[in-house]
Amino acid sequence: MTPILRVRALLKHFVVHNVDGRTVEGLCGVDLDVHAGEHVALAGSSGAGKSSLLKCVYRTYLATAGSIELQVSSGNVVDITTLTDREMVLLRGRELGYVSQFLRAEPRRTPMEIVSHAAVFRGIDASDAPEAAAAALTRLQLDESLWDVYASVLSGGEKQRVNLAAGTVAPPRLLLLDEPVSALDPANRDAALAMIEDLTGLGVAVLAVFHDIDAMSRLATTVALMDAGRVVRTGPPSAVLPELTGVAR
Amino acid sequence: MTNPTDEPDPVPPVDLVDHVLRVNGLGKLFGKLTGAAIEGTGPERGTAKHAATNTVVAAWDVSFDVSPGEAIGLIGESGSGKSTVMRCLAGDLEPTCGVATMRRRDGSIADLFEMTAAERRALRVSDLSIVYQDPAEGLDLSITAGGNIAEPLAAVGFRHFGEIRERAASLLERTEVPIGRMDDLVREFSGGMRQRVQLAKALANQPVFVLFDEPTTGLDASVAAGVLDLIRDLLDELGIAAVVVSHDFGVIDMLTTRCLVMHHGRVVEQGLTDQLFEDPIHPYSQRLVAAARA
Amino acid sequence: MTVVPEVESVECIRPTPWTVDALVGPARAQTVLDDDAKREIRRAVLTAVAIPGYQVPFGSREMPVARGWGSGGLQITLALAGSADCVKVIDQGDDDGVNAVNLRRLVTRATGATETSEVDEATLVQTRHRIPEDDLADGQVLILQVPVPEPLRGVERDMRELRRMHAEADYAKMWVSLYEDKVRNGVITQSTGYPCLVNDRYVVATTPIPRWDVPRLNHAPFLSLFGAGREKRIYAIPPDTAVVPMTFDDVPFEVEHTPGARCDRCDTDDTYLVAVPGGIGERWVCSDTSRCRRHRTRPSRIAAVTS
Repeated sequence: MTPILRVRALLKHFVVHNVDGRTVEGLCGVDLDVHAGEHVALAGSSGAGKSSLLKCVYRTYLATAGSIELQVSSGNVVDITTLTDREMVLLRGRELGYVSQFLRAEPRRTPMEIVSHAAVFRGIDASDAPEAAAAALTRLQLDESLWDVYASVLSGGEKQRVNLAAGTVAPPRLLLLDEPVSALDPANRDAALAMIEDLTGLGVAVLAVFHDIDAMSRLATTVALMDAGRVVRTGPPSAVLPELTGVAR
Repeated sequence: MTNPTDEPDPVPPVDLVDHVLRVNGLGKLFGKLTGAAIEGTGPERGTAKHAATNTVVAAWDVSFDVSPGEAIGLIGESGSGKSTVMRCLAGDLEPTCGVATMRRRDGSIADLFEMTAAERRALRVSDLSIVYQDPAEGLDLSITAGGNIAEPLAAVGFRHFGEIRERAASLLERTEVPIGRMDDLVREFSGGMRQRVQLAKALANQPVFVLFDEPTTGLDASVAAGVLDLIRDLLDELGIAAVVVSHDFGVIDMLTTRCLVMHHGRVVEQGLTDQLFEDPIHPYSQRLVAAARA
Repeated sequence: MTVVPEVESVECIRPTPWTVDALVGPARAQTVLDDDAKREIRRAVLTAVAIPGYQVPFGSREMPVARGWGSGGLQITLALAGSADCVKVIDQGDDDGVNAVNLRRLVTRATGATETSEVDEATLVQTRHRIPEDDLADGQVLILQVPVPEPLRGVERDMRELRRMHAEADYAKMWVSLYEDKVRNGVITQSTGYPCLVNDRYVVATTPIPRWDVPRLNHAPFLSLFGAGREKRIYAIPPDTAVVPMTFDDVPFEVEHTPGARCDRCDTDDTYLVAVPGGIGERWVCSDTSRCRRHRTRPSRIAAVTS
């Protein structure tokens, strides 16, 4: 079965012109597969390249070399590294989702607006978007009284739940999660993890970065351990997680 | 259809929708067009002026396209050429070379630089609007807010006073101008309110394309935020294609999905807006982003 | 050494009655407009007729009347009238006003045309401020004196922009000024010189006739020529041409009307009336004096009151 995501020999260097033109190495040759219904968790110490990998897939970072192949809904396979900007915008709307670690939303938008907008971006009809948004916010247990306040006044945990709702309101084919529950208290964390669990049940392919070993052992079908810009080990959680030393934050 | 080999399928998988605007090789020189002038200017030379021939290469080799409902950003500092590009597209400045085609509301293709001035004016009434940095440039300060909106409506054939009033009122309401001020002279409005009236006027005839030139520059911070939110909401709601010219990263970030960075008249980098902000490749882009983050 | 002529008797120097004619001798036929000028004006008139409503520039000559006093209308009349013509000249509807009399005298002497105050006898009617109440027919020509031929003057001052607006039929700014007028005043307040769309193409100033007369231009059987001497423009409305006042679909074009007003002299209420200055109470009389005279049923009460 073709994987939904297939990364081969992915290289990412940053040339920092403004300092002394030095090259910072982010990814040094990553190979990774994610299949439908699979939850691949990226583990490793900070600086290992986990977020960079997600960003390269989402094309927030431009890969230096290698290939990132995505199998889209039509069955075709595209290489994200060779798409035009415009094609990438369309891909992000329909096939690819990204939940960043921080809520980078505009300060003067309400949770309802943010999630509805994300729904429309994902292809949901504008008239159905508010309903879908309401369902997503409810799933993440965000109090209805907060749905119409400016996102800037929400707490970190509330913002993160809005973020998650926006990312999952109409689940894309491949979902990229960057520390999606780090700011949540135990009760909300549980609800969020349950929701993410459901997604894999729906056939969504998930590539996630966690620092939380418990979350990884609960959700992941595969854990990929990264170190110095490479995937050094992949396997089921029970096999890989014991190798992690002192990574939990 | 699964591919047994490792090669990706060469067929583009996503729909390539028709463009609303396609710009190819746009250039504007003040002075003599010579190979030397082109060679002697640009980001590598650190200047847009060719001293030997006293020629300013305000913009050169600018190409991009805009799809329906898409907002593109043009970032740069003053002198970068972004305003030159905008004015050429608006019809306020005649380009030296290049082609710009636009798909009108009725589906026909307009060749912007080959049209007569009259055809250009007709285009600006019905398909393409411009929102200027200085509202006084896009409005007549000596007439009322409603009167300013009446002009494009009359130009496309509105002849019913009641209908003109109704449409002007609904546009002003949408741009959050108090209805009670519809009959006030624009001269009496504050800067932010004037900008809102300019927005209402720009939307009067449901354009397919709007050019924004530094839409919030010069406004107080809180006022600018309100106008920015309004533009963002209108773009979302009306599905208008847009080019947003600004030196302000906040504006570009909020309104656009793709953008171009201009420096000394050339495009130095082009990409997804978030990619440009988080992973700028060109040295100048990196400088610009670093300065914006500071 | 100066020679002083001998004066034989005082009676010779003092003519009776004291008139201009007696002092300077009888008026000869003057050449006010030479043949080249007449040719140029006729050409301008033909161009104007060919493009209804278009302001044709022409080489406006110096006339014996001051600029702004009908020199344009006069030049058209002098160019068109000949000994076979009969000329009626009115000023604000009145044949007997000083300006009308002077112009009529000038025209008849210079062209050899006869004069009349009856519309149906005239071939050419020159007028300031009115169209005669009695309808002109096909074959008659109405010549109007125009102070300001440019209807867009209030909304645009730049000459090039004005030319462009007419050339592209871009009258949006005019519509905006009508809109502003209605917003500010509740009605469109333009009274004389109401802007009209001629032949569905050019907007003209119908200056200086009142609104009352505007509807009578629409598909009129006669030719109307407009002459502006100071501004050096001639324009025309050929017979049976559409002339539509610029107004919004939901704002009907209204003509002047004072309810209950009737002419003091002839008792009609369906002509353009003007208020009588002085007198007791509000009095009205017809603006068109010759028409009034023909319809008079009772003697002037004004004369009785003031005598």
